[in-house]
Amino acid sequence: MKQKKIISLLLAATLSFTLLAGCGSKTDEAATDTSTDAAATTTEATEGAGEVREFTAFFAVAGTEINDDNEIQSILAEKTGVKVKETWLTGQTDKEAIGTFIAGGEYPDFIEGGSGTPQLIDAGALVALDDYIAKYPNIKALFSEEDWDKLRQADGHIYFIPQFGTVKNEEKVCTHNDEAFWIQTRVLKWAGYPEVKTMDQYFELIESYQAANPSMEDGTENIPYTILCEDWRYFCLENAPQFLDGYPNDGSVIVDPKTLKIIDYNTTPTAKRYFQKLNEEYKKGIVDPESFTQTYDEYIAKLSTGRVLGMIDQWWNFAFNVNDALKQQGLDAQGCNYVPLPITIEEGINNQWHNSGAVLNVSSGLAVTTSCEDVDAAMKFVNDILAQDLHDLRFWGTEDVDYGVSETGEFFRTEEQRMNASDTAYKASHLCTYSYFPQYTGTSDDGINANRPDGQASEFYDGLHPELQECFAAYDAKTYVDMLGTNEKPGPWYPMWSFSNSLNTTTPGGTSWVKIAEVKHEWLPKIVMAEDYEGAWTDYMEVYEGTEPQAFLGEMQTELDRRMEEAAKYN
Amino acid sequence: MKLLKKNKKKTSLGDKIFYFCNGIFMIAFVIITLYPVLNTLVLSFNDGTDALRGGIHLWPRKWTLKNFETVLTKDNLITGAIITVARTAIGTLLALVTNALLAFIVSRKRFLFKRQLSLFWVITMYVNGGLIPTFLLFKGLGLTNSFGVYVIPGMLSAFNMLVIRTFMNGIPDSLEESAQLDGAGYMTIFLRIISPLCKPVYATVALFVAVGQWNSWFDAMIYNRMRSDLTTLQYELMKLLSSVTNQGGSVENLKNAAGAVTPTSVRAAATIITILPIVMLYPFLQRYFVTGMTLGGVKE
Amino acid sequence: MSLTRKKKEKVNEVPTKITWKEIKRQKVLLFWSFLIVVYGVVFYYLPLAGWVMAFQNYKPKDGIFHSEFIGLAKFEQLFHDATFLRVIRNTLAMGVINLVVCFVTAITFAILLNELQNNNRKKVVQTISYLPHFLSWIIVTGILHGALSGSGIINELLVAFHIIDSPINFFAHPKFFWPIVAFANIWKETGWNAIIYLAAITAIDPCLYEAASIDGAGRWERIKYVTLPGIKPTIIILLLMNVGNVLNAGFEIQYLLGNGLVKSVSETIDIYVLKWGISQGDYAIGTAAGIFKSLVSIILIVVANQIAKHNGEERLF
Repeated sequence: MKQKKIISLLLAATLSFTLLAGCGSKTDEAATDTSTDAAATTTEATEGAGEVREFTAFFAVAGTEINDDNEIQSILAEKTGVKVKETWLTGQTDKEAIGTFIAGGEYPDFIEGGSGTPQLIDAGALVALDDYIAKYPNIKALFSEEDWDKLRQADGHIYFIPQFGTVKNEEKVCTHNDEAFWIQTRVLKWAGYPEVKTMDQYFELIESYQAANPSMEDGTENIPYTILCEDWRYFCLENAPQFLDGYPNDGSVIVDPKTLKIIDYNTTPTAKRYFQKLNEEYKKGIVDPESFTQTYDEYIAKLSTGRVLGMIDQWWNFAFNVNDALKQQGLDAQGCNYVPLPITIEEGINNQWHNSGAVLNVSSGLAVTTSCEDVDAAMKFVNDILAQDLHDLRFWGTEDVDYGVSETGEFFRTEEQRMNASDTAYKASHLCTYSYFPQYTGTSDDGINANRPDGQASEFYDGLHPELQECFAAYDAKTYVDMLGTNEKPGPWYPMWSFSNSLNTTTPGGTSWVKIAEVKHEWLPKIVMAEDYEGAWTDYMEVYEGTEPQAFLGEMQTELDRRMEEAAKYN
Repeated sequence: MKLLKKNKKKTSLGDKIFYFCNGIFMIAFVIITLYPVLNTLVLSFNDGTDALRGGIHLWPRKWTLKNFETVLTKDNLITGAIITVARTAIGTLLALVTNALLAFIVSRKRFLFKRQLSLFWVITMYVNGGLIPTFLLFKGLGLTNSFGVYVIPGMLSAFNMLVIRTFMNGIPDSLEESAQLDGAGYMTIFLRIISPLCKPVYATVALFVAVGQWNSWFDAMIYNRMRSDLTTLQYELMKLLSSVTNQGGSVENLKNAAGAVTPTSVRAAATIITILPIVMLYPFLQRYFVTGMTLGGVKE
Repeated sequence: MSLTRKKKEKVNEVPTKITWKEIKRQKVLLFWSFLIVVYGVVFYYLPLAGWVMAFQNYKPKDGIFHSEFIGLAKFEQLFHDATFLRVIRNTLAMGVINLVVCFVTAITFAILLNELQNNNRKKVVQTISYLPHFLSWIIVTGILHGALSGSGIINELLVAFHIIDSPINFFAHPKFFWPIVAFANIWKETGWNAIIYLAAITAIDPCLYEAASIDGAGRWERIKYVTLPGIKPTIIILLLMNVGNVLNAGFEIQYLLGNGLVKSVSETIDIYVLKWGISQGDYAIGTAAGIFKSLVSIILIVVANQIAKHNGEERLF
């Protein structure tokens, strides 16, 4: 008898559990159906305010969550009456995450879809923002009429607002955030700060320095040149030919500005020469033999020891980690910091490693979803946080806590404040940049300060080690950008990568584009390591042709023509 | 134990060599296995920027508690820990009861659909409808945005069932037969006769399920994304580590996210925090499968 | 042991006839089975409706029910792609290698651990052995990469013992890739996989050991004639289950350890699916590959199960 009781108890427990779970979720659904009510009731966190409304946001990119009681977020909530709970992509691809949202049909209020954005538009998940943009002056002011039109989708509506690439007033840039041939200042100093203009000169300099100084002060052997080519980061190896020929970073192709024709930079004579050079240097032992097998972590570790004399890379890919490590060990005093060099294949070609001005990303941005109950309030918030005082709060922090103001009204930070700004825990509890909401670079409305600390020239220069200052002075430069010189935006098509990024395997060109990457990833290391370079290059070209690059180039040409046609309407 | 001692007396030269080699092997094994764990522990106490340089093996170069501070001050960590403990406890209990029951049924010799029911479950191990259909199903069942999604869907698994079944198959039929002669029903046999003998395998399966529950975060992200009160410990840690599956993001996106990736040392600290409770739980389960059980007493 | 086994088989061969009397007798069992089957249908079989995606040009907008039907086009696309055939080979090769080495090491380890005389030592060793299971692949592969790099410990040892003249860059040679993956799996999972066998060993009747000792059996004989036969059912069941898993050779480890130079041997089906399916927003390809894997798995286990049945061993169903 007892057993029966136990069984029935168990059964009852299991059943009621299932039922409970069912009921629980039903009430939840009801709550999300009227999400604004739910949002409005979850204001307990911001005590007393009562009026603060909570929106949710999902960004299909990697990012760091901030704490619920974040201080600046609370201040912003007080001033705008809105708080946004942000979540980021974790352990999924953007398309996967967006796909799940669409299947479920429930969305957060704000969304950044990354490369899943077309899917969102297709599924009717996004609110057309045209009318709202007209209504909010700060949002409207973000882009020119021409740029807004570029953002219109096939149905003529605007569904998202790009967050980046908006320069306000005068541009203020100190760091070259992009790709370059980098070299340690100690190499330049040793050679008496020579002019280095071509790839051959660059490697010659490294070779002669290495011959004279095979090791660092503490006896660690130098690594003359290393190449990162782990997975998608293999741009460090593959895309230099476009720059060497004096073209800007269109990413996937070269655009000839005169004929407006697409050129494939993988097969140019320059490409062949560049890889041949790497092949020669590899045989001489100048190129790190671990180049093609190292992971990103190992690469960063190598750079952080100060052993590596030079490499090609994007600034954001190494500098944030490496510079701190070098500083901590006092290696900046030994001249281990990296500066970019204006290198081309031959002398006399104008280099375009650095381009000024805004780059409009027409493929994704901040969007408001159909699940948002009050689009007006959401857009008002986006508008509000673009106002100069709130923008300062987002990117500089609170006055006297995160930065000081000099008598002339210039913002400055102490060493401690700089450290805080890069501290994970401090950022989570104190700073709130709403980093995937629209924002500005350039100059503040006060005409003095940069919109972000990294654009503040005085702030930037103070943070530099004397070795770097000396090096800059030798080249008559004040910033990294001055080392390379700057160029105007090359043309209205720029940048073509915003199109190739959105390609997928549904078109022949998209398929070819994926295949090209596959082939290059496998073959470029092979040809650099080849005994017989000529033979390897021929083999490579044969396999390369097998990917039908013409399909890809054709689609790029069509897009280029379309962009030029669009642009012509505004002239 | 007595038995072992008796054996010892009789150890031949061959046995001595065996014990010696075995000892050496175990020491080597322990060293090789322990290294990654120790290295992680050491990294968790080392300064993050300094660790970037690499070359840290068995002793921190630059001590710090900062990594643990970063992890432990993570928002919602407490909520996540409570939910995780709850799902581990409830989920393990539910899974143990249901898997044992199913294993009991399919290990009965006379059961009518023995083969069919086994096959039905074996197939589930190798088929998978995919993320989106599963999501739609859970939504339809009202499991999204609820605690139930943590413990109900994975409750029964063919793997665990088969492990228990194999063990039950080894129990002599005579036990069941004699109990039936005494008038005991199937449930009495299950609860009173079979289950007490299955402690080692129950402990094993409990460990498997508990570890699975403890480590899972994907369900929290997919089904309860907007419910921060239902977050789990591992999901919070995953978010902190902002583990980038780089494949999908464009370079431009990553450019903007640069610096958002947390250092290895914080990852190490998070790992240590994850392992610790399991290490402490283990000794309680371990006695079931290291000391050995004496089945002789209950055998006929 | 062998005697009882034979007796059991005979019972197995004669299924109980379905009669009202039997149904009445087993009503408790049938009742619970029914609930369990309902559960299984809902949670495991219902989502299989999603397989229809493989035959569709699936668009999230249209959902599963309204996407355009394209028949077997995606399967044709898969099997006409030389790369897909190559990734099947890689997956199978790594799957089989991992299956074999992980089995052997886990069983060996469990038996040897059981042979340790001191119980405390036994406990300590076991606790340590399963810890690496909790480290993520990114940590384990990071350490492995360090150990096998040009200046890593392995190369240093090899050079010190004059086995090689100059450091080998292990990750640059395709021939080393599969062994490295196998080693990484052993390193991480041996202790964890051994847990099941240790549990099975505890179920062996100590009297059998005693009897064997009396018959003058040494350590080796006891392992051979008592321990191994005692855990044989567990071994067979796990082997059968894992045979169905050879196409799930993994994703993370190959992804983290691979590089351009070893691409031809490192890419698995899962990596292929990610590259050509998921990251392209093409769900059909992923689903088609999933169906392919499921079919192969089911065929494999049915065959393996028949072999087990034929040999009178424990079997899955």
